[in-house]
Amino acid sequence: MLFSRSWLAEYVDLPGDSQDLARRLTAAGLNAEGVEEKGDDVLLDIEVTTNRPDAMNHLGIAREAAVLYERPLRRPESSPEEGSERVEDAASVEVEDEEGCPRYVARVVRGVRVGPSPDWLRKRLEAIGLRSINNVVDVTNFILWEMGQPLHAFDLAKLGGRKIIVRRAREGEMLTTLDGVERKLDPEMLVIADAERPVALAGVMGGADSEVTEETADILIESAHFDRRRVRLTARALGMHTDASHRFERGTDPEGSLVAASRAARLIAEIAGGTVLAGAIDARKAGFPPERKGRLELARLNAFAGAEIPAADVERWLAGLGFGLESAGTPEDTAWDVTVPSWRFFDFQPRPDGRAYEADFFEEVLRIYGLDNIEATLPRLTGADEPRTPLQKLRDRIRFYLSAAGYAEAIHFAFHSRDMDARFPSLRPGTEPLALANPLSEAYSVLRRSLIPNLVETARFNQRRGLPAVRLFELGTAFFENPGAPLPDQPEQLGLVCGGTVGTSWEHAMELDFFDLKGALEGLADALGVTLEARPAELPGLLAGNTAELVRSGEVVGYLGRVEEEEGYPIYVAEIALDGLAGGESSLEVDLPSRYPGISADFTFTHSLDIPWAEIDRAIAELRPADLVSSDLKIRYRGQGVPEGAVNTTISFLYNSGERSLTQEEVNERQAALTGELERRFGWRG
Amino acid sequence: MAEPSGAAGVPESSDAAVLAERFEREAGVVSDRAAWEDLRLRWIGRKQGIVRSLLARTGEVPPDQRRAYGQSVNDLKDRVETRLTELDERLAAREREAVIRSEAVDVTLPGRRPPLGTLHPVTRVFREMEEIFAELGYSVAEGPEVEDDYHNFEALNFPRDHPARDTQDTLFLENGLLLRTHTSPVQIRTMLARAKDMPKPIRVICPGRVFRNDNDLRHSPMFHQVEGLAVAEGITVGDMKGTLLAFLRRLFSPETEIRLRPSHFPFTEPSAEVDVTCQNCKGQGCAVCSNTGWMEILGCGMVDPRVLAGCGIDPDRYSGFAFGMGADRVAMNRYGIPNIRLLFENDERLLRQVRG
Repeated sequence: MLFSRSWLAEYVDLPGDSQDLARRLTAAGLNAEGVEEKGDDVLLDIEVTTNRPDAMNHLGIAREAAVLYERPLRRPESSPEEGSERVEDAASVEVEDEEGCPRYVARVVRGVRVGPSPDWLRKRLEAIGLRSINNVVDVTNFILWEMGQPLHAFDLAKLGGRKIIVRRAREGEMLTTLDGVERKLDPEMLVIADAERPVALAGVMGGADSEVTEETADILIESAHFDRRRVRLTARALGMHTDASHRFERGTDPEGSLVAASRAARLIAEIAGGTVLAGAIDARKAGFPPERKGRLELARLNAFAGAEIPAADVERWLAGLGFGLESAGTPEDTAWDVTVPSWRFFDFQPRPDGRAYEADFFEEVLRIYGLDNIEATLPRLTGADEPRTPLQKLRDRIRFYLSAAGYAEAIHFAFHSRDMDARFPSLRPGTEPLALANPLSEAYSVLRRSLIPNLVETARFNQRRGLPAVRLFELGTAFFENPGAPLPDQPEQLGLVCGGTVGTSWEHAMELDFFDLKGALEGLADALGVTLEARPAELPGLLAGNTAELVRSGEVVGYLGRVEEEEGYPIYVAEIALDGLAGGESSLEVDLPSRYPGISADFTFTHSLDIPWAEIDRAIAELRPADLVSSDLKIRYRGQGVPEGAVNTTISFLYNSGERSLTQEEVNERQAALTGELERRFGWRG
Repeated sequence: MAEPSGAAGVPESSDAAVLAERFEREAGVVSDRAAWEDLRLRWIGRKQGIVRSLLARTGEVPPDQRRAYGQSVNDLKDRVETRLTELDERLAAREREAVIRSEAVDVTLPGRRPPLGTLHPVTRVFREMEEIFAELGYSVAEGPEVEDDYHNFEALNFPRDHPARDTQDTLFLENGLLLRTHTSPVQIRTMLARAKDMPKPIRVICPGRVFRNDNDLRHSPMFHQVEGLAVAEGITVGDMKGTLLAFLRRLFSPETEIRLRPSHFPFTEPSAEVDVTCQNCKGQGCAVCSNTGWMEILGCGMVDPRVLAGCGIDPDRYSGFAFGMGADRVAMNRYGIPNIRLLFENDERLLRQVRG
């Protein structure tokens, strides 16, 4: 928001150094982001936060500067010379919606000559980037930027019945606003109407029909307080945002309406001639605005701040900002009853008992005192908060295992397209993705149920960029409908993707396949004390015969497989619910290795491809001869010498006793019994 | 096989001296293991060795010369054996050298590294912040990413239909829920859950991903925040400053200074934007900090009494501070990543460089 230094200087003596002014304003919460010399003026670009509508005008900023530099504030002249005709005889105001418009002030100026503005007025407006329109409209804009009250000037002659009615729009009513757009109104919107029809959108924009023109002689100045919420609803419903609505939405000064209307009448008469009618129409809701008061105790302020702020400073600053202070303490305990100025009304939302919160006063004092002047300390707290949760520890272990196993961590958006959602499996088949109401684009239209679609896209992206291998994992949230519950189910899931060839021949190149990915998962599960079993499965987007479900204790917790659609080297994916990796049992106790030599024996046999390894493995476990300590798959061979439909499997067995050295003979005997049985159960019979 | 000299006549002790000279000549030309073996067999071989045959002829030497003869043959034998041992060692050393030479590697060839992966830059920044705050006694609190209006806005003192909500660019679900725009709802959930345990202090940080309806070169619709919250009796504005200073000095450098600019957030008062010494120019002023010497890094404030009260914590008795910052910018700054979009593009060539 732009402010003119020379305009500000009308109300307060400013320091010579505009940079210093910017620094001090910034330190007090009015972030002066830019200082720019422009001709003989200096423009300050100040970011005024939503809670400070009172500072969105020059008088408001001048008030801050007056306090910061301890200089007096000069208020502009606001009482006009009045004629004898009474305003009530020229126009009337009726407020139907008192909630939407708790105060409506109107003044009338008769016999104006609408024309160009004088130079001084033009200059003021143009300095802050506004366009001069005519002397009457310029005065209303000037007042908005001088004291923050949005005004509207009606051509009194064009108001049917010389009457203002503040009411909700009626279904189907239309209004052409000043910008020439015809707008369809509805009963949620607040309008200013004359006896027949809407003539303005309350707090947003005037209507074209009642606009002030060259022919206008009599002016009705509207200076109202419109309800913040109602203005916002009206403006938003019509997709409008104006200087007026910006201020009304944030809350204008409820006591400022009359002053602003009078000041405007005075200026219009001064510039455009005419006579200001006697008095003002002031339709005010009873009891509006309620007085806002609270108690401020110096000791509590200083305890809150961690500082020693003198009472005299507190009094001077708050009084300068317009707060009313009445001493309410004891000689030992300084305290005040503080009244909030009307222009800060909305920034001091009261406690349930109607009193102002002391913290609101603390804030006022501290922003003037300067937060940078408070000494940095640490809370006097001992001990620590809660320990890390099992889930937090689990995530750490997964991240460390997978990164040590060669996988790089990726992070993707939590949304993707509906099409991507449908392309790959979900850990909860049959669910529907949650859709966004206002997505950035179709590509981000639903929340992910699976991490795989994005991981596959990224694998392709890396593939296309020429990477010889891809190995990525992601740990993140997936989203599922949860009917009846307040929030969707948002479990964390782990996704992995790999493919390509890692390393050169020199580095013992490894061509990644299904079993590399499965091995990473098995290793991870093992590290977490979890046993996962792979079962052949058919899942969308994954190649049949190269896809498995991951089962833990009879429950499907994940899947892995080869992506069906190919482009370059094959891509393998896996996804598993974090729950499926949680709560593993890991016995910390070790098995002491034998001190006696072990005896190993390989066994090769031919069997049908239909016999899964898991079945052979189970049989070995079941038949387990004494002292057999391990049995590992060594070679799978299909090719010359092996019948079609069969495979040669070589298994390495190791026998070892903790008690003594085993003899070759006894091992041979046990091994023969075992392999004989394996041959009998599984051996190839052509 | 060479014949000892004087084979025809009576052996004499002088024969040994002649033979010794001959041995030296022969030994002088031995250059490999086979020649050495030949030499050994010829001179001290059990069956046909010259030394042995000399000894075998001792009987032919006149008795008065036998002693001298025997002595001379033994001397020869010692000499031959010593010399053979010497030669053997020299040959062995040469052989070892040859083996070493043939097995030598070029130690400058690249090592074969285990296939190490990496953690995402944002994860690393999260972890680092969690570690720093763990040292300060904070635990990590978490909450859902899809939230309701109450936890994301209302409980944080964002009134309905208030312009403060405009700054949040919320992504809504079709069912009326929303994607959290900050991790502040986790603070609300934490306070609601722990109000009953007061006066036990609350000290948590809330790292997590958040969402805004914003997508351009500088903004990503998903980004990461770390927020913190401390609530207890007697927490001061000074405590907030001290905690942030301690944190930021650990995160950046011990020389880091901070500056507080009062601002406005609905859920804290007073509120402030915190600037740190520009990490690029160390406060001297540069293009990164628009010559101010400062970088805006986080927002903070004392928890608004309306927020405390709404969570069932008595604002007249307890006070606290909250702060929040983006983790993505810290990561970008640290790893020299110029554009937030690159953080989520997941180019493995970038991800695999992430260290620290």
